[in-house]
Amino acid sequence: MKILEVKNLVRDFGGLRAVDHLNLDMDEGQILGLIGPNGAGKSTVFNCIAGVYPPTSGEIRFSGVSVHGEKPWTLCRRGLARTFQIVKPFSSKTVLYNVMVGSFARTDRPAEAERRAMDVLRFLKLDHLHDTKAGNLTIAHRKRLEIARALATEPRMLLLDEVMAGLRPTEVDEMVKIIQQLRERGITIFIIEHIMRAIMALSDWIVVIHFGRKISEGVPAQVAADENVIKAYLGDEYVVS
Amino acid sequence: MTRQQFQALSLGLVAAVVLALPLFVRSATYLHILILLYLYAYLTTSWNLVGGFAGVLPLGHATFVGIGAYTSTILSLQYGVTPWIGMLAGGLLSVFVGVLIGLPTFKMRGAYFALATIAFAEGIRVMVENIDQLGPLKINGPRGLQIPPLNFGLANFMFPGKEPYYYIIVTMLAAVLAFTYFISRSKLGYYLSAGGEEPEAAMALGVNVARCKLIAMAMSSFLTALAGTFWAQFTLYIHPKSVISLDLSFEIAFIALIGGRGSIGGPILGAIVLRPVSDICRIYFGDKLPGLHLIIFGVVLILVMIFLPRGLQEPFSGLYNKVADRLTSTVPRQE
Repeated sequence: MKILEVKNLVRDFGGLRAVDHLNLDMDEGQILGLIGPNGAGKSTVFNCIAGVYPPTSGEIRFSGVSVHGEKPWTLCRRGLARTFQIVKPFSSKTVLYNVMVGSFARTDRPAEAERRAMDVLRFLKLDHLHDTKAGNLTIAHRKRLEIARALATEPRMLLLDEVMAGLRPTEVDEMVKIIQQLRERGITIFIIEHIMRAIMALSDWIVVIHFGRKISEGVPAQVAADENVIKAYLGDEYVVS
Repeated sequence: MTRQQFQALSLGLVAAVVLALPLFVRSATYLHILILLYLYAYLTTSWNLVGGFAGVLPLGHATFVGIGAYTSTILSLQYGVTPWIGMLAGGLLSVFVGVLIGLPTFKMRGAYFALATIAFAEGIRVMVENIDQLGPLKINGPRGLQIPPLNFGLANFMFPGKEPYYYIIVTMLAAVLAFTYFISRSKLGYYLSAGGEEPEAAMALGVNVARCKLIAMAMSSFLTALAGTFWAQFTLYIHPKSVISLDLSFEIAFIALIGGRGSIGGPILGAIVLRPVSDICRIYFGDKLPGLHLIIFGVVLILVMIFLPRGLQEPFSGLYNKVADRLTSTVPRQE
């Protein structure tokens, strides 16, 4: 069964059609990359799937059930977690506190929530910072904290919105490794990213959108060679590395 | 000495001092001032559940004080119901009104929410001031209600001296502090803070922010109404200007903001600092400059917001931690 099916998704903002009849689906355990130029509607797709705003028309099914109009918090309980492109940590709280908010999605007991949160922090190598205020973290750590919180809700599927933007190359490599480990844990990953090196290495399948429309899809090498993609997004000089 | 032992010791010390105070403070005036200090600390702690943890700024909590005071007073004057039961009834009615106010207003942000709560509170005050009789209930408009001091005793929540009131409000304050402490460490507490700070992120993590705020509002309005009944039984006279006034709503918010919003100790510190100012102003300047205390509060608030944006609790808890570290690190090593 497909874990995610998006059928004819349309989302309008006033007169602007941000997403235009988008179709895509994902298998369990897959890593799907969504790329496209700035303003192509990538984050809008995420926001529709995560329940931030309802689609104007079309259908979204998560593990076989239609989730039309469901709110972010009920989707989270169903096993859909996300990160934000512009990180939103609870700045005045500690790293551990931040992650515990996530782990409370699966338990009511604070001690248990703390134990699970520490597990997640260890996995993401953030445990040494558990007592640091989230507002004092570096950008690389904040991005990782976003993933930690989302992971603490024990999702089946994770929407990652530009978790590598602003990272140094070595940090990007670490993040790629983390995402691969997440997949090994059986989590399906839907990722938006501008760093081609990372997304080409990670994705099983890539969807390219431009002005809200899908202009290409395929395995990374296929997409990178597609003339439409090169014209709209990658540029003539792009060489698959 | 371990950290836990130190905490237990300091808590025990504070408790002992608070409980023993009436033995030394024989003056009714000072006892009165102390009782009001605890009452305001209690009110602010109740307010803090929604105003502190949930990150919104309600400025109409006097409504709930008024509901508590009027409900128990009307029930006892007209129907002979003991104020203890009236207290509970007032609390429940207050929950209903609190949720009713919260439902439309929690969608508003920042100043708009604050303004909406002021509007509700003022609306209710004006209504009470203009209603003499509501069905079978005698409300008595602006003249308010007087409770004749006839039947003293615990069952009637009425005492000739101040000491019993002192111990009742101390018990109430201790209970509400323990409750807040428990909530702040529970799932709800985490969800409230998260929703207050970054609602979008909280929602994505499974938090139904609006529902959490409503629960906090319900708890807060219930607890606040209990203080209203205490107020009525303590002063034996209530009128709209005393228990539903905007001054009261503001004073609660002032105490919270100056003491430290969203912290357990903040409301206590705020009350300790501001209540004496308020009382001294009323005693010495009450006739010439009524409202002087609010002006002083404003100045203090500005200074605190500039120099200690997280309230007075910050330097105090820093100091406490320093002392605790000093005392608990010198553990004698036994080989």
